[in-house]
Amino acid sequence: MKLDGTNTLPAPMETVWNTINDPEALRRCTPGLKDLTPAGPDKYQATLSIGIAAVKGTYAGTLTITDKQAPKHYKIVLEGSGGAGFMKGEGIVDLEPQGNETLLRWTGDIQIGGLIAGVGQRMLSGVGKMLIGQFFKCLEQQFGGAAGAPPSGRPGSGHGDR
Amino acid sequence: MAPRDVTLTINGRAYRGRAEPRKTLADFIREDCGLTGTHLGCEHGVCGACTILMNGDAVRSCLLFAVQAEGAELRTVEGLADGDRLHPIQQAFWEHHGLQCGFCTPGFLMTAVAFLRDHPHPSEREIREGLAGNLCRCTGYQNIVKAVAAAAAVLTSTAPVGTKRRAGAKKGARGRRRTLEHPPADRQPATMKSKPAQRRATVKSKRARRARRTAR
Amino acid sequence: MKPAAFEYHAPRTVEEAVGLLAAHGDDAKVLAGGQSLVPLMNMRLARPRVIVDVNRVRGLDGLREARGVLRIGAMVRQGTAERSPLVAARCPLLRDALGWVGHPQIRNRGTIGGSIAHADPAAEIPAVLAALGGEVTVRGPKGARTIRAADLFAGYLTTAIGARELLTEVRIPALPRGAGWSWMEIARRHGDFALAGVGVVLALRGGVITEVRIGLTGVGPAPVRAEAAERLLTGSRPSEELWQQAAGAVRGAIDPDGDLHASAEYRRHVAGVLVMRALREALGRRGRAA
Repeated sequence: MKLDGTNTLPAPMETVWNTINDPEALRRCTPGLKDLTPAGPDKYQATLSIGIAAVKGTYAGTLTITDKQAPKHYKIVLEGSGGAGFMKGEGIVDLEPQGNETLLRWTGDIQIGGLIAGVGQRMLSGVGKMLIGQFFKCLEQQFGGAAGAPPSGRPGSGHGDR
Repeated sequence: MAPRDVTLTINGRAYRGRAEPRKTLADFIREDCGLTGTHLGCEHGVCGACTILMNGDAVRSCLLFAVQAEGAELRTVEGLADGDRLHPIQQAFWEHHGLQCGFCTPGFLMTAVAFLRDHPHPSEREIREGLAGNLCRCTGYQNIVKAVAAAAAVLTSTAPVGTKRRAGAKKGARGRRRTLEHPPADRQPATMKSKPAQRRATVKSKRARRARRTAR
Repeated sequence: MKPAAFEYHAPRTVEEAVGLLAAHGDDAKVLAGGQSLVPLMNMRLARPRVIVDVNRVRGLDGLREARGVLRIGAMVRQGTAERSPLVAARCPLLRDALGWVGHPQIRNRGTIGGSIAHADPAAEIPAVLAALGGEVTVRGPKGARTIRAADLFAGYLTTAIGARELLTEVRIPALPRGAGWSWMEIARRHGDFALAGVGVVLALRGGVITEVRIGLTGVGPAPVRAEAAERLLTGSRPSEELWQQAAGAVRGAIDPDGDLHASAEYRRHVAGVLVMRALREALGRRGRAA
């Protein structure tokens, strides 16, 4: 499943870069993230509890940041599994200054397998988009820009399932 | 969680057992009542193999918990034949090769019983729609559709023993419930049942009637 | 494929049911027809600690019309509504949509209220409720409240109904007298979840469209009422060009997801095609009783 999108964040590029490298900010903004423990340089153990309505699952895995080109580019690699299935994903983030704001472009390629993929297939890309949207909305709020956040930050600007 | 008493009627006989709330009705029928004619395919409501009649409605017994069926009247495939005499729908499945491996057949038969009661003169399209909730991996469905059409003709033309139609029911009226009695289940010979089932099915008929009354 | 253990309650009254939900909150799940919840439980994708089975709750199975509105108890089975002469006469759109809900065995257990509370993004009944601007009553520890369809559906399997609230009644406006209607749906096989589905109601006077409703399912996280297309149609005279414009308005208003079965582009395209077909069929059905 490939997803991509752009978000304009109301902060200078350096600030955005620091925030998206700050474990505390990631912990606050990643939907369902219960625990994020450092496990080496740019490597974390993560526990996620994700679900909608009655369908809930807990996933344990690792999050690694690679290919760092401060302050404009990195790659995030996620691997996790739980009772309902497993997921592997890569996300690439690129920052670009836009006056006092920062344009964040992201692309993700996520593979989800196991029971949840078989049963929830219909909703995976939509729910994925929704969760990523929640993440960016939270990031915007980190910069105090919630009220004036430009509409380009909405998850619908991404395209699912190409 | 603590098991609960479950009392229900299957094919006219009372059964009583204890089931954890999480036990599905399908498992209760098979394991506790010993009636293994009801088959489990997908266990999530897609294949229709576990279709039974509950208070007259065709339902998937894998999507009900046994505790929900307390006091209910169930009908399973074991209740169709009258001794060695097959039910007209079973006979039609046999004659028209409506089965190969037979795993899905109990579900198809029970679906067809309810369907033909509600649609005594079905078109082929109606038959296909009526059976759409049952999957068969062997036959390609053609012969199942033929069998149900043939059974419809038999059931309406020859009015087999015990066939009654509710007064005033119009021919072909969509959605109107009819009573189409099949051979009474209590005439079913005990040899149809597995040994443990016979042992469990020892509730006195009086008690069974009482259980049924209180359930209403 | 066996559900995890749970605590089971089968209350007899709405008060009892609401009391149980209030006591257990997020740990509890309401069991109505069970045709969506139990599969999830069998696969252990859902593992509720407490089940509140409302099948024996009294007073949730009424089906009647009052002042032009169908009042449907939350536990009315989909099959019962589908066979109801009242539904056929006053809201044939609902009757036709129900024919697309799963299979007969599913509809014999599945309930009108359950389908709405479950809020599957490809479900039919929520789209009918949205198209016709219906509403629901929910009961919670603080009493009853009404939620309009427009405020009810929040996204994938998510509604404005709280964990401590029970859906008790669904109210769907009857069609205007003489209005035409149509339910159109594309699914891979009959009974599968909709790739896209459309419900249309159309009323004319003097050759001009006076009222039109368009609701869609399967084209986003929640049912969609195509209000821009409705505005475009109202006050105009029916024509193929107009239907084309309505289809364009619908395509512009939806943001479908793609999956293995259909890409987002396909769903967007097909939603427009279905809208045109449904408008044509509804136009042809005006003045006809169901």
